[in-house]
Amino acid sequence: MRRSAYIAAAIFALVALVPLAGEMYWLRLGTIMLMYSILAMSWNFIGGMAGYPSFASAAFFGLGAYAGAVSQKLAMPMVLAWGIAGLASLLFAALLGLALLRLRGHYFAIASLVVAEVLRELVNSATDLTGGGMGLNLPVPRMASVQAQAVFFYYAMLILAAVTLAAMILTTHSKLGFGLRCIKQNESAADMLGVNTTFYKVSGFMLSGVFVGFAGAIYASWVHYIEPPDVFDVLYSIKPVVMVLLGGLGSVFGPLLGAGLYLSLEELVWRRFLEVHTGVLGLLIVLLVVFLPRGLIALRRAPGAAQEKPLSRVKA
Amino acid sequence: MLYLQILANGLMLGGLYACIGAGFSLVWGVLNVINILHGSFIVLGGYLAFYAYSVAGIHPFFSLLIAAPVFFALGYIVQSGLVNRMIGAPVLLTLTLTFGLDLMLSNGMLAAFTADFKKVSLDPPLGAVLAGPVVLPVDRLIAMVLALALVGLLYLTLSRSRIGRAIVAVRMDREAAALMGVRVKTVYAITFGLGALMAGVSGPLLAMIFPISPLSGSAYLSKAFVVCVLGGLGSVPGALVGGLALGLAESFGSLWLGPEHATTLSFVLLILILLVRPEGLLGRKGYA
Amino acid sequence: MLKNRLPLTPLAALALTWGAAFWNVAQAQDTIRIGAPLPITGPLSPEATKLQNGINLWVETANKAGGIKVGNKRMKVEVLAVDYQSNTPRAVQAAEKLITEDKVNFLFSPMGSGATKAASSVSEKYQVPTIAATASSEQVYDQGYKFLFGTFTPNQTLTEPLADLVQKQAPGVQRIAILARNDLFPLAIAQEMEKSAKSRNMKVVYSEKYAIGALDHASALSQIKALAPHWIFATGYINDLILIKKQMADLRIDAPVVTMIAGPAYKEFVDALGKGAENVTSAAWWHPAVRYKGSDLFGTTENFNKLFRAKYGRDPDYGEASSAVAGAVLQLAIEKAGTTDRKAVREALANMKVTTFFGPIEFGPTGQVHSLQPPVFQIQNGTQVVILPEAIKQGSLRLGVK
Repeated sequence: MRRSAYIAAAIFALVALVPLAGEMYWLRLGTIMLMYSILAMSWNFIGGMAGYPSFASAAFFGLGAYAGAVSQKLAMPMVLAWGIAGLASLLFAALLGLALLRLRGHYFAIASLVVAEVLRELVNSATDLTGGGMGLNLPVPRMASVQAQAVFFYYAMLILAAVTLAAMILTTHSKLGFGLRCIKQNESAADMLGVNTTFYKVSGFMLSGVFVGFAGAIYASWVHYIEPPDVFDVLYSIKPVVMVLLGGLGSVFGPLLGAGLYLSLEELVWRRFLEVHTGVLGLLIVLLVVFLPRGLIALRRAPGAAQEKPLSRVKA
Repeated sequence: MLYLQILANGLMLGGLYACIGAGFSLVWGVLNVINILHGSFIVLGGYLAFYAYSVAGIHPFFSLLIAAPVFFALGYIVQSGLVNRMIGAPVLLTLTLTFGLDLMLSNGMLAAFTADFKKVSLDPPLGAVLAGPVVLPVDRLIAMVLALALVGLLYLTLSRSRIGRAIVAVRMDREAAALMGVRVKTVYAITFGLGALMAGVSGPLLAMIFPISPLSGSAYLSKAFVVCVLGGLGSVPGALVGGLALGLAESFGSLWLGPEHATTLSFVLLILILLVRPEGLLGRKGYA
Repeated sequence: MLKNRLPLTPLAALALTWGAAFWNVAQAQDTIRIGAPLPITGPLSPEATKLQNGINLWVETANKAGGIKVGNKRMKVEVLAVDYQSNTPRAVQAAEKLITEDKVNFLFSPMGSGATKAASSVSEKYQVPTIAATASSEQVYDQGYKFLFGTFTPNQTLTEPLADLVQKQAPGVQRIAILARNDLFPLAIAQEMEKSAKSRNMKVVYSEKYAIGALDHASALSQIKALAPHWIFATGYINDLILIKKQMADLRIDAPVVTMIAGPAYKEFVDALGKGAENVTSAAWWHPAVRYKGSDLFGTTENFNKLFRAKYGRDPDYGEASSAVAGAVLQLAIEKAGTTDRKAVREALANMKVTTFFGPIEFGPTGQVHSLQPPVFQIQNGTQVVILPEAIKQGSLRLGVK
């Protein structure tokens, strides 16, 4: 654990220095990368460690974005609004988890995917509160300059990412992490052995939701204008999965790596392949799943090392 | 008599939904693979009908006959080439794989056909018939009848033909079927092909009524999901029941809650069924 | 214990892709560069084509005349288009990229009220004069921004004259049904229509929204049919409206007045529906039948139409004219300011009072133009016929839509 902590601190320090370069576009990109890292790491809690294929990230992200935005509209200070958003996501994750985590495999995946759609339509209809289809404008924060504003949001995301990473490291080396890995291997056996599967699953799910909600709120403040189709976009559920697969399922630094690599590819493709970028993304996903299902981290493992767990599992 | 009209609308829509859902349900039930490509296959079938009509004057009803073998072959190839490698892999990977394939197909169609909505406007238009106070647009009516016929055909294939029974056997118990001499890999490929076929023939039917665009794929896919879950995986009668139920729910939901909530209602239904009766209205426990 | 060594191969891959992604080309600086985020792919791509048509015509015409006069030299103009995939956050990102990386001098807004509003905060941040060619809702201009200018008048300038006309010429019309797409502009204009109708003592018997991307309106339309309104008002984008009209015909719905915004202005609407489009009314911010004598590079409306026809083979619609006038107006401002300095151009825009081929242009305090008189038109015998304002009308309102 100490080793992970040192590596984490090193990365953190490096990344914190980026704003000194001063380039606006890099700052923006960096902020997005940090946001992607948060999404990927959060997903890892429930998808990578516990083995429950959750597609609920978009639901948490959108919920956090709107919770934060509406709070700000109701004249609450920005950072407090973010806290409210995080809390709202935490509670929502708890309730949702209790309801949905009874389902397994595909059913859980579908249900979690659908939740975002339902939330989106609910937000769409509550026109008076959320602006509905007309979107919601957030008050622009008063700051010294454009540059200062960009740097502020960069650091906000950075701090959140650091917290998420810390949570990730702590969980991995704690009883919760161990419990989640047991659930992934064989939930029925774990249950029989006395592991409180419901408690662990729901905790994992809550962890997968709280930071994402927070990130959504920061995002909303950062872009000053949100609409339901943007923040509840299904891609916010899919991309974290791809990032974690890219980096390595269940590992601590895998999601970070995956997020960074994914963003670079996304930028590269958006700039060069205007017409076919989603297709290229699709191709990437297909190649990844077929040839590198354990992610890039697997490339570093010594060939003879014992696998963490077998890839195909006994069907429940 | 507004209610009668809404009922009629719901039933007509329901027949189409049943057709969309049947193939999807089969693939999910037998291969345990969620085929995200299904929605895009439907749209592709729609484009086939559109171009057949505008370029060669072939009526969409006849495009069905062209679509069927083309899509069967397409599905067969996709399955044996790619999806087959992933059988037995965790849900996450197969889902992500078909999702990636769907992105590719969807983008390909976007590049080839552009996002402009295309519509098969039949000339002369088919008009509508009156059944008492209820107006029944002829194109929807015929599409519904054909959709139901196709679902019926699928059912007959599964219950009467040899290959159909092999499929059902694999669905019930893969290992036992293998022991009985059924070639599971081939059955998988054929089933996927059948699923693609059903999607491909739904395309022309839908194209007559709704505009086509590469972006409508996900809307059809969502309907397929709900139909499956409502009716029960792998069950064709289930898809029928699920489809009709969904059509009616959307129609009446639109009346009572407002049109913008019609789709939300179907999703809420989905979640409720998953929580209360995950095997669906006609499904059997343990077969999913 | 899990091994968590930092893998080097993937890091190298990361570095390489970052390098490839950010390899920048040096830019020449003696052209005037204007950024244009456009929804080239995605559901709004048909609209992007229209925007591009107008912009490209302007660029071509301006450069053919030697360029824009800046002080005592002439500078060519170049428009950089970036695809934002019909996705609003990407539109904002595209706007920022154009400003910070591609170092454009000015900006055209992305398509539609929602994305325009979102991107305007970026242009305000960097103080880049931005002209919105497709945003009419007042909500877009309510942030107190100084650098956003719009060529469309507020929504009520469409609904008020329309409601007036119907009230005067069809006094029997008492009940109105409204069906709106749940999106910024269609919803906003539907709300304005509701206000205009209520203020004239018409009864709003139905007022609902449909989800973006909805394909089936049978239920909503069946309900409308059962309420037997005299006036059906539907909003959305061209694909939605074609579908709604078709489904109306399927369900045998007829009413004295049917108004749709914003599809009937486009030729595609008439082509797709044939007889079904007959007698549908609409309003827009411009119509090729108007006649203005402008001091912009196009001069008269007829000249603009002529040039457009020469390049594209058909008459322009209001979206294409609007994007062209956005360029023309920017050109006038630059020429008046005598410099490409952003603040000076901004001042020139704010104080502008000219006539253009599009109509009289004067921007109000919020940046939105308030000098236009949007025409109301109706599709009669397969063509669009202007029925308001009186000065340029080509025909009269006809009642009865099947």
